[in-house]
Amino acid sequence: MKVRSYGVVMALIAIAAALAAPLVADPFWMTLITQIYIYGLLALSVDLLLGHAGLYSLCQASFFAVAAYTTAILQVRYGYPTIVAAPAGLIAGTLLAVLYGSAVRTRGVYFILITIALGYIIWGAVYRWASFTGGDNGITNVPPPSVAGFSIASQTAYYYFVLTVVILCAFGYRILIRSPFGLSLRGIKGSESRMQSLGYRTTMHLYAAFVISGLIASLAGVLYVYYNRFINPVAASFQISVEVSLMAIVGGSGTIVGPFIGAGVFLGLRNWVSSFFELHTAVMGAVFIATVLWAPSGIVGLVERWRPGIGKPKDQP
Amino acid sequence: MTAAVAIDSLAKVFGGLRAVDRVSLEVALGERRALIGPNGAGKTTLFHCITGRMQPSSGSVKLFGDDITYLPEHQRTKLGMGRTFQITNVFTDLSLAENLALAIVGTDRRKWVWNRPLSAFPAVREQALAGLEAVGLKDRADDPVKLLSYGERRQLELALALNTHPKVLFLDEPCAGLSPSERQRIFKMIRALPREITLVMIEHDMDVALGLADRVTVMNRGRVMAEGTPDEVQSNPEVRDVYFGHV
Ligand SMILES: Nc1ncnc2c1ncn2[C@@H]1O[C@H](COP(=O)(O)OP(=O)(O)O)[C@@H](O)[C@H]1O
Ligand SMILES: [Mg+2]
Repeated sequence: MKVRSYGVVMALIAIAAALAAPLVADPFWMTLITQIYIYGLLALSVDLLLGHAGLYSLCQASFFAVAAYTTAILQVRYGYPTIVAAPAGLIAGTLLAVLYGSAVRTRGVYFILITIALGYIIWGAVYRWASFTGGDNGITNVPPPSVAGFSIASQTAYYYFVLTVVILCAFGYRILIRSPFGLSLRGIKGSESRMQSLGYRTTMHLYAAFVISGLIASLAGVLYVYYNRFINPVAASFQISVEVSLMAIVGGSGTIVGPFIGAGVFLGLRNWVSSFFELHTAVMGAVFIATVLWAPSGIVGLVERWRPGIGKPKDQP
Repeated sequence: MTAAVAIDSLAKVFGGLRAVDRVSLEVALGERRALIGPNGAGKTTLFHCITGRMQPSSGSVKLFGDDITYLPEHQRTKLGMGRTFQITNVFTDLSLAENLALAIVGTDRRKWVWNRPLSAFPAVREQALAGLEAVGLKDRADDPVKLLSYGERRQLELALALNTHPKVLFLDEPCAGLSPSERQRIFKMIRALPREITLVMIEHDMDVALGLADRVTVMNRGRVMAEGTPDEVQSNPEVRDVYFGHV
């Protein structure tokens, strides 16, 4: 009872702070925070597989990028409105996950290697297929999203739009991971052989999780392309896939806020450190190593440990 | 009457090793069968081949008269096969109630529900508590399995298998590694199982096996070397030689 109200209070405080942010933050901070939400959502998509199903997917940037490119190309090159371009992006990214989902036939290091290879296919395609994707330059001049003549053009308006989508996703995700299906993923992570003997066709459960993860990553991709207003091959890179996994791990794998906290730490540090230190990626590496050594359950795990009163909250998966 | 389980000249070869060598075996409906034999006799491998964890190299497996040799494991569970593992195989990161919930919904469509929390299924919770009570773990329902002793984990191991509601239950050394008093506990639970459940139990302890089984099969070096009532098996000189010689 007490434990549960703690989680609810923290969530409400976080939402209230997020709602109030535009009142106090300058444009620089607004840009950064919006970016944190979007990358946090991408990190959340990684963590459905990593923190729940126990699969380490390194091609999440592919779904993100395919969704973003599809939306951008439809809007810029073919002049389709947002109402068509955005859902098309979502569908394209998710369809890619339906295709790439066959990777779940493998496990462990083979799964990791296959997803890396699958990730490079998309990166190579957007990079090399210049006539369609714009190659190195990517697609520029993506207009602000506009629905029924109402354009979400201002930074503040888009901030609130992203925040709403992220909050809705977090609620949906919470239901998903607490459902029997969500529990089945943690069962597979714990012991796949036992799950099979309990009657589960485990590969199908992992496949479903992979597609849902691809859907969430695609959503992040669509949000990203309207935020950034351009897209280039970096979005599809291996580096993005790795970074968002690190965000999930540093923030706290297996939780909902963890990936967002991780995104905040990574993007915040990068912005700050890169202003005076060229080797800012080394600092990121050090943060990650410190996490693995001293806080294997991430920042959320650290907070849990220090919190007065013992035990993990029950509503924390 | 068709047998609950019928195995016909089943073999499993690992490289050059014939771990199971043309074993044929029939277990009648409602029978309690003990499978004994020295370490490395091939008992666990035989179980794996029957339950679908492993594919036999040759031979066939029938469940209630239907050939299931090539059926995937999860489908055998739906047909009423249940099993426990010699090496405890429970979900250590989950609570006991969650462990049982996985077993309970594993054989029906509820396992696919993704848009409602598990807590929206009071019947599952109720069944989980009843299942835990049956193995004496009800007051630990919301503890993580991490906090359980080894003996308690063996009890949970049994509860997981029971909650898929098997018609034929395969128990692989349910008392492995337990103290005498813990053995007694598990032994009593198995004894108390309804007689409709056909039971096949691997057991190292001859006394336990003989005290529970209607019939006993003795394996050695991948082969069945004797089969009969506990009395017959006990008085078989060959068995006495091989089996008791090892103790
Ligand atoms: N996966 C495996 N690969 C190779 N050899 C195995 C494997 N599993 C079991 N064996 C071998 O098969 C033989 C039978 O093992 P097992 O079935 O575990 O015996 P039991 O359960 O009767 O003690 C042993 O010699 C064991 O080493
Ligand atoms: Mg064995």
